[in-house]
Amino acid sequence: MITTISSLVGQIVAQGRAFQLAMVVIIGILTYIAYYLGKEGKEWEIRPLEALEATYEGIGRAAEMGRPIMMLPGISDLGNPQTLAGLTLFGEVSQQSAEIGVEAIASASDSSVITAVEAIVRSSYTAAGKPELYSPGKFVRWFGGDQFAYAVGAAGHILGDKPAVVLYVGYFLFDVIVSGDTGARVGSIQIGGTLGSMNMIAMMCDYIFIGEEIFAAAASITRDREAIATIAGQDWVKLLALLVMVVGVILMAAGSDVVSKLMGM
Amino acid sequence: MSATITYVRTYLVRLLIIIGLVATLASYYFVSPQVDAVANELNIWNMNIMTFTLFVGIFTIFSRYIKSVMDRSKYWPYMLYGMVLIIVWIIFGTYTGIYSDIYQTAFLSTKITLHIAILGQLIFFMTSAAYRLFRIRTMRTAVFAICAMAIVACNAPWLLGPFPIVDKISFWLLDNPSMAGARALLLTGGIGGVVLGIRLLLGLEKGALRATEEV
Repeated sequence: MITTISSLVGQIVAQGRAFQLAMVVIIGILTYIAYYLGKEGKEWEIRPLEALEATYEGIGRAAEMGRPIMMLPGISDLGNPQTLAGLTLFGEVSQQSAEIGVEAIASASDSSVITAVEAIVRSSYTAAGKPELYSPGKFVRWFGGDQFAYAVGAAGHILGDKPAVVLYVGYFLFDVIVSGDTGARVGSIQIGGTLGSMNMIAMMCDYIFIGEEIFAAAASITRDREAIATIAGQDWVKLLALLVMVVGVILMAAGSDVVSKLMGM
Repeated sequence: MSATITYVRTYLVRLLIIIGLVATLASYYFVSPQVDAVANELNIWNMNIMTFTLFVGIFTIFSRYIKSVMDRSKYWPYMLYGMVLIIVWIIFGTYTGIYSDIYQTAFLSTKITLHIAILGQLIFFMTSAAYRLFRIRTMRTAVFAICAMAIVACNAPWLLGPFPIVDKISFWLLDNPSMAGARALLLTGGIGGVVLGIRLLLGLEKGALRATEEV
């Protein structure tokens, strides 16, 4: 019976990807259930993120000091979820800054991200009722698509403008050392989050979004109930992943490789 | 009228993105030549759009930089320098071909040399960052600093002689807590990325557009 089912699945689904597909479908269903509950009015209590609280405080600090807030969304393009999480954070920060008269500046490596960041700043000023303060190229700088051109350019930007707060949320590699160290030297509050180079971010920043907290922060900073509800769905998926891991370890210890076979390993 | 056109354009692009997303996912998970053909076709569209945006990018840079240079705004000499370089490289590449020896030599002698110079400087930035980190201020930074010192010691051969245990401690740290932490970050990051994708499809991840909708 199991052989027949697996051979049928093998004809439709690419080899070794059935488990991944099942997980994507399950994640989709769980997230949608959480979103639906949120839409129906269920309030989800989420753990406050230290780095997010620091971001709110940082906007106030920038206003008091009369210095700008800087955002670096990393070296990837708009196809990277980390970049999108960074841009969502920047959207909120930029809008709050525009409302209280703080400049939100940014620099990115990819040209498509530059375009998106320009759009964010422009719409933030428009929404704050101060469209006349927006000027193209004033708040967003581009130093080339190369990783280190971006790093050195961003470092120069930090040295020139001495921002009160620097947010590093996106995809970073070694480049973050250059801009991160420069930010620390000018005395900025540094808040960062990424997935790959977490160790670098941890070295440079005062507050960090650990791993997937950047995605949770992107949802919770908007204070949108439905977006926050999806974080609950994300936690259910994490519980499921933990369950699979525990069951897998127990079965492997008992001499059964059924879970690893199920995963197509 | 212009707002209607913008909305129509936005929804058409969104529809195209959803088709592209579904086709890419389907071609990854399912065995179907038809789905593969759709995904490949959309990839070609994507490449064409990327090429077009390159021209838009160059045009945008020039339109902004020329204005800044004329107004003598802040950093205008750098902008002028950038524009001259872009023109020189375009003419040079078009005339000699980008795979020609002379072009490649010029490229390696300029960009790659600068790249390597920055890579060399990274060590100074890292040392500076490590110094700040090793100023133990809290329990967490203390643990971090002790672990980091063990790894540093493991990479210093002169220390391995008198203290062979450092080697074992370092590899235990790398193979257990470090590996477990890295995997946890990757796993949860992957899940977070998928959920972010679902939020995008549900229209919940608005970012910049959120501000526009309130206008």
